[in-house]
Amino acid sequence: MRDETEQHIEQIARELRAPVSIGRELDARVMRAVRRLPRHARFGLWSRLITPRTVTVTPLVWGMLAAAVAAFAVLGAMHAGADLDRAAKPIARAFFPRPQTPAQSQRVQFVLVAPDAKKVAVVGDFNGWDASHAAYQAQHRGGGVWSVTAPVPLGHHRYSFVVDDSLWVADPTAPRVTDYDYGMPNSAIVVQEQK
Amino acid sequence: MEAGSSDAVVVARVLRGDVEAFRSLVEQYRDRYARYAFHMLGNREDAEEALQDAFVRAYRSLARCEDPERFGAWLFRILVNRCRTLGARRGRRARTFVVDEVALLGAAEEHPAATTAWREEIDRALQQLRGDQREAFLLKYVEEMGYDEMSQLTGVGVSALKMRVMRACERLRELLSEVYDA
Repeated sequence: MRDETEQHIEQIARELRAPVSIGRELDARVMRAVRRLPRHARFGLWSRLITPRTVTVTPLVWGMLAAAVAAFAVLGAMHAGADLDRAAKPIARAFFPRPQTPAQSQRVQFVLVAPDAKKVAVVGDFNGWDASHAAYQAQHRGGGVWSVTAPVPLGHHRYSFVVDDSLWVADPTAPRVTDYDYGMPNSAIVVQEQK
Repeated sequence: MEAGSSDAVVVARVLRGDVEAFRSLVEQYRDRYARYAFHMLGNREDAEEALQDAFVRAYRSLARCEDPERFGAWLFRILVNRCRTLGARRGRRARTFVVDEVALLGAAEEHPAATTAWREEIDRALQQLRGDQREAFLLKYVEEMGYDEMSQLTGVGVSALKMRVMRACERLRELLSEVYDA
C-alpha cells in the first residue's frame, strides 16, 4: 500500500516537473520596472569601504583590542589632561556636525489608520522604496493610528504604506497614481517649499 | 539551482550600474522558477505577477545579496515569499481553472491528449491542498529539494515540513483516488 502510494506520488511529481514556460514579455516588463528604480552604483575600493560585512573575531583578539583601548585611554588622560576637552571639541564639531534637514526637503507627516497592523512603514521614490529605512518607520499613536514625520525632497513623489512587511496600502487620503507600480497601489504627493 | 560564478559576474555588473545586465538573470531564471510559481498559485496571471515582483524586489535589494554566486537560490527565496503573500491575499478569490491553461503555458505539447485530463486533475487536486502543504510538497517532490534546504528556505523546522509533505501526499492520494481507480 505504501509502495503504491509512493508510486502514485512519484507519478504526480513527474507530471508536475514538466517545464512551464512564461513568455518573454515578462522580461520586458521586469526591465521596464527596474529601469525606473534608482541605478545601483557600487565602485571598487569605495564600495568595499562602505559595504557592511560580517567580521569574525576570536576572543583573543577582543581581549587585545580591549587592552589597547584601555592603554590608549590611560596614556591620553595622563598626557593631555584638561587640554584634551578643549582640543577635542572643535574636532568633534568638524567630524560630527549637528544633523540638519537639507534645505531642499520638507518634513511631511504620513498617517495611516491600521488597527490590526503590527508594523507600518512608508516607502517611496524618496527612500528607494526601502521598507526598512529607519526614518520612515511609523509609530503607533493609539487607536490604530500610525504616523511618522519624515523629510521628503521637494517635488512630485510616489509613495505607499507597507503594513507588516508584506501588504502595500495606498494612502487613503492622497490621490492615487494611475500608473500602478508593479501592481502595487501608490499614492502621489507634491512637496513644495514652505513660504 | 545555481549558475555559480557567472551569476556573480552579472550581479557585480548590475551593482556597478549596468541595469541592462539584469536582463540575463531574468532570462536565465524566468522559466526555471515559473513552474513553482504556476503550481503554487494555480494560474498564469498570478504566477507572472509573483515572478515579476520577485525579480524587481531582487533588483532593488541586490546590494543585500550576500552570496552573488547563489543568486538563484536567493531569488527563489524571494519568489517563495512572494507566492505566500500573493496566495494569502488572493486566497479567498474564486479561481476559475481554464482548461487550456496548461496549453497556454506551452506544456501541452509534452502531454498528449490522453494525459491532458490526468494532468488537469493533478492541477485541480494541487490547488485544493492547504497553501503550506502545497508549498512543502512542491519543494520536496517537484523542485526535489532536501528537507534541510527546505527548512533553510522556508524558515520552518524539518519535522514540521515532513508532516506537511506527508499530509499533502495523503490528501493528493485521496483527491485523486477516483482517477486512480478508473
